[in-house]
Amino acid sequence: MESVNLKVSNAPFVRSNDSIESVMYNVALALAPATVMSVYLFGMKALILTVFSILSCIGFEWLMDKARKKPNSCLDGSALVTGLLLALNVPANLPLWMVFIGAFIAIVASKHVFGGLGFNVFNPALVARVFLLISFPAAMTSWPVPMPFSFDVAIDMETAATPLGILKTEGLETVAASFSLMDGLLGNMNGSLGETSALALLAGAAWLWYKKYITMHIPLTLIGSVFLFTALFHLIDPGTYASPMFHMLTGGLVLGAFFMATDMVTSPLSIRGQLIFGLGCGLLTAVIRLWGGYPEGISFAILIMNSFVPLIDRWDLNDRKALQQKKQTTS
Amino acid sequence: MKTFKIGGIHPPESKFTENLAIEKMPVPAELAIPMNQHLGKPAKPVVKLGSEVKKGDLIGAADGFISANVHASTSGKVKGIKSLPHPSGQYAMTVLLTADGKDEWAEGLNTEPVNWRDLSKEDIIGRVKNAGIVGMGGAGFPTNVKLSPPPDKKIDTIILNGAECEPFLTADHRLMLESPDEVIAGLEIIASLFGERVKAFIGIESNKQDAIDTLSRKASPKGIEVVSLKTKYPQGAEKQLINAITGRTIEAGELPFDKGCLVQNIGTAVAVYEAVCKNKPLVDRIVTVSGLEIGKPKNIRAVIGTRFSDITAFCGEPKAGTNQVISGGPMMGKALFTLDVPVTKTTSGILFINNSSIEKARERTCIRCGKCVEVCPQGLAPWLLANVAQLRDFDEIQLLGLANCTECGSCTYVCPSRRELVHWIKYAKALVNKRQKRKSA
Amino acid sequence: MISEAFIPAVTSLGTVALVLGCIIFYVSKKFHVEEDPTVLIVNDILPGVNCGACGYPSCGQFAEVLVETRDSSMSCPVGGPDLAEKLGTTLGISMAEPKPITAVLLCQGNNDNARETAQYFGIQDCWAATQTYIGPKQCKYSCIGLGSCIAFCDFGAMRLENGLVVIDKDLCTGCGACIPACPTGVLVMQEKKAERYFIACNSHDKGADTKKACDAGCIACRKCVKVCEDDAIVIEDFLARIDQEKCTACGKCIEVCPAKVNCILLERDLEDVKQKVAS
Repeated sequence: MESVNLKVSNAPFVRSNDSIESVMYNVALALAPATVMSVYLFGMKALILTVFSILSCIGFEWLMDKARKKPNSCLDGSALVTGLLLALNVPANLPLWMVFIGAFIAIVASKHVFGGLGFNVFNPALVARVFLLISFPAAMTSWPVPMPFSFDVAIDMETAATPLGILKTEGLETVAASFSLMDGLLGNMNGSLGETSALALLAGAAWLWYKKYITMHIPLTLIGSVFLFTALFHLIDPGTYASPMFHMLTGGLVLGAFFMATDMVTSPLSIRGQLIFGLGCGLLTAVIRLWGGYPEGISFAILIMNSFVPLIDRWDLNDRKALQQKKQTTS
Repeated sequence: MKTFKIGGIHPPESKFTENLAIEKMPVPAELAIPMNQHLGKPAKPVVKLGSEVKKGDLIGAADGFISANVHASTSGKVKGIKSLPHPSGQYAMTVLLTADGKDEWAEGLNTEPVNWRDLSKEDIIGRVKNAGIVGMGGAGFPTNVKLSPPPDKKIDTIILNGAECEPFLTADHRLMLESPDEVIAGLEIIASLFGERVKAFIGIESNKQDAIDTLSRKASPKGIEVVSLKTKYPQGAEKQLINAITGRTIEAGELPFDKGCLVQNIGTAVAVYEAVCKNKPLVDRIVTVSGLEIGKPKNIRAVIGTRFSDITAFCGEPKAGTNQVISGGPMMGKALFTLDVPVTKTTSGILFINNSSIEKARERTCIRCGKCVEVCPQGLAPWLLANVAQLRDFDEIQLLGLANCTECGSCTYVCPSRRELVHWIKYAKALVNKRQKRKSA
Repeated sequence: MISEAFIPAVTSLGTVALVLGCIIFYVSKKFHVEEDPTVLIVNDILPGVNCGACGYPSCGQFAEVLVETRDSSMSCPVGGPDLAEKLGTTLGISMAEPKPITAVLLCQGNNDNARETAQYFGIQDCWAATQTYIGPKQCKYSCIGLGSCIAFCDFGAMRLENGLVVIDKDLCTGCGACIPACPTGVLVMQEKKAERYFIACNSHDKGADTKKACDAGCIACRKCVKVCEDDAIVIEDFLARIDQEKCTACGKCIEVCPAKVNCILLERDLEDVKQKVAS
C-alpha cells in the first residue's frame, strides 16, 4: 500500500457516536410524546402548526447559513428542535403567519445574529414565544379548548383562558371548580400545544435523562423551588394562593423545566452554576405567577436567567483559575 | 474494585487479540534502529558504517543523564547511519542493520538466570542502565533514572501498571498470562531497591480477570497485592493509577516520587528481570498488531527496529479500507505518514483502522454540553482551554491549568461537536514551551 | 393634557443631564493630563496600525520616543520615505530614509513541485501540523501551506495559492509580523529592490534528498557559484545564498540552474526604482 493513502490526524482515533445531530434528534424524539398528545387533544390544526413551524425554522436556518457563507447546518437538528419547541409554546389556533414571524425571530434574530448555534445567549424558541406574546397578545392568549380526535380543520375551536389565566383574572375559586389534577397530568385543559400534558413531557424527559443528554440539576431545583415557594404562600393563605400541585401541572412548567431551561447552549456548565440557574428560574417563575402582570412566568424567568449565564460562567472561570494557582503555588 | 475519582470514559474495548498467544516474529533482512527511543537526549551512535555487530552489542551510547543505551537487535552489518522516519512522525538518526540471519548473541549476554538476591543495589541499577531499559508503556522514561530518585524522596509504594486501558492493546495482558513469574520477579527486584517496608501492587483492569487470577495466585505468597481496577479509561495513566490504588493525587509540577510512589509498566518489569538475571539488553518487545483492517490480528514478539512494512507481511496485508495506521493505542497513539517506520522500545501496538470520521469531520462550534468537563480525569475545562488556545492567549491558558493536562484524549472522544480539543491543547503546550525557551534564551 | 406628562419628564431628565455634565466637566479639569501637542501631531501622521515593525509595541509609543529623543535614525518601515519626509518637516530634523523591505518566501514547493507525504486532517495550522508529523510535504524546510502567517498580516498582503503562501509585494509593508508565525522559517525579510535575484529554497538537506522531495529544490550543485562574476553567491549547509549587497542583477545564475523548476527567482519589487535605474 502506498503511503499517500495514509491520512494523518491527531489522537484519539476513536470517537464516541455522539454528535450535534444525535443530541438534537434525541431531544426531538423526547418531545414526540407531547407532540402526539397535543395532536390528539387539539386535532389537525395542531399538526399543521407543528409541521409548519418546523419547516419555517429549517428554512430560515438554511437561508442564514447561505447568507453567512457557513457550511450548511439546516439539517443538524437544532432548527428542528427550535421549531418543535416553538410550536409547543403557542396556542393551536394561532394564525400561521404569526408562526412564520416567530420562526424568523427564533432563528434569525435570536440565534444567527449572535453567531449561530452555540453562541446564542437566549433560548431561541422562548424569545420567539415572548416576542409573539407581546406583539399579538390577543391571539397568543386565546387558548383553544381541547377537543380530542377533532381532525376537521374547518371547525372553529372554542377558546378560553388557561387555568393560570383564570386564576389571575377570576381568582382561585373559579379555577378550583373546573380543574382536577388528573386533567393536568393528562393535559385535558386549555393551553399551548405542549404545556398541557405533563405525563407525556415527563416520559420524554426521562428518556433524555436515561440517555444522559440532560442532567436533573436544573429541572429539579427549578420545580422544587417553585413548589416550595408556592407551598409556603398556600400555607399562609390558602384562600388566595393556589396549591403547589396546581402550579406544578399548569402553565408549561414541566416543558420549561425539562426542555427549555436545560438547553445546553443557554444554561451554565458547572453543577453549581446549574443549581443557581434552576433556583433563579424557579423563584422568578413563582414571583411572576403570584404577583406579576402575566399569568404565566416560566418563559420570562428562563430568559432573565439566560442573561445571567455568562456571569455565572465567569464566576466558575475565576474559581478555576484561583484553584489552579493554589495548586501551582503549593507544589 | 478501585478506580480514580473524577472523570473517565469507557470506549469500546475492542480487545480482539486477548486470547491469541504471543508469536515470535522472524528477524527481517534489514533493521532500522533509531537512536531516540526514549525521553531525553538521543543516544550517540558508536558503530561505523560497515562494522560487524552481534546481537546485544551496544550501537548507541546514552548521552547525558536522561538518555538510554541502544543495542543491536540481531547480528549483522551496519549498512548506514542516517536520518529516517520515526514513529513519532518526525525524522530521527537511525542505524540501519543488515541481518546475517544467524541471530547470534554477543559474548556474556542472555545467559542462564542468576539469583538477583546475590547482587548489590548498584549492580542492579547498573545492569538496568546498561541494558538500555526505558518505560515501555509509551513515554519511554529511562528506567535506571526512575529507579534512583533523589535521596530525600522516600518511596513507599511501588505499582506495576497492568491496567492496559487503551482499546485494542493486549500486549501487557498476554505478557501477564504467559510470563507471570518474570513479571513478579521483576517487581520484586524493583521493590528490593527501596528497602523492606515498601508495599508492592499490581493494578489490573477487571476486564482481564484471567490475568488477575493468575497473578494473584503467584503474587500473594510474596506479599504483593493484585488490585482489580474498574475498566475505565484512562485507568492506566500514571496519575490516575496512583490515585486509584493509593488515593493520593499528583498535582501539576509534581512527579510520582513526590508522593512516595513509583509506577512501572508490565513490560518494563519483565525487561528488568531479564536484564538483571540474564544480562539481556532490551532488544525486543511484545507488540499488538490489531485493528479492523489487518488480515490476521496478532500479539507478536518483534525485535526493535523491525519495520512496520515487514510486520504487515507477517500479519497479512492491510485491507483496502485502511486509511490510518497508528503506532500505540487509539486514544494516545500517533498516526503514521509512512509504513517505513520501525518498532521502538515504546511501540505497544500497531493498529490498522478505517477512520471514516476524519474526512467528513470538521470542527463545529461548541454547544456547551459540558461533557468534556464531566470526563476530564484532571478536573480541567477542555473546551475553555481549546477556546483560549484558538485565540492564542498563552498567558490566560496557563492560568487555566494547561500544565495539568495529561493529553489522555477523553474530552475529544466525547465531544459531540467533534472539536480537536486535545490537539488544540497540545498546540498550546508546544507554543508555550517555545515562548518560555525564547524568554530564557 | 400633553404638557402634564411632558413637563415633569423634560425637567427631571434635563436636571439629571445638567448635574452629570457638571460632574464630567469638573472631573476632566481636575484629572487633566498634560500632553505634548507634537506627540499628538506625530501620532496622527503615523499609519496607526500598531504593527510593531519599528520595535515599539504601538505607533503612540513610537511617537512619544521620537518626539522626546528626536533621533533621526528612527524609522517606520510601513510609512516609507514619504512618511520620513513628513516626520522630518514636523520635527525640524532630517530623518534617515528607511530602506523598504518586504517579506519573501524562500520556497517554490507548491502542489506541483513538492512531493507529498500523507494527507493532514488535524487542525488547520502550520504549527499543529508540524507537531503531528513532518508535515504534508516531504521537505521539512518547506512552506507547510496551511497559512498560519496569513492571520498575522495586518495589511492583507498574503494569500494561499496552490499550497504555498503568496506575498503581494505592493501591499507588504515589511512589518515582519508574519516571520515568527512560521514554524519552518521559510519566510524572511529582504530589502525591496528593482530586480532581486534570490534562491527560492530553504532546504538544508543533501542534494539527493532535496531532489527526491521537490522539483524546485536547491541541490547545492555550485553551478551558480561558478558563473557569478560578483562573488555574490555562497553555499552554506547545502544551500546557495545570494548576497544582495554584492549582486548586480546580471541574471547569469538563472540560466545555469539545473533544477527541473529553476530554484533561482527574479522578482521586481519596485517598479519606480527600476525605472530610475534604467534611466
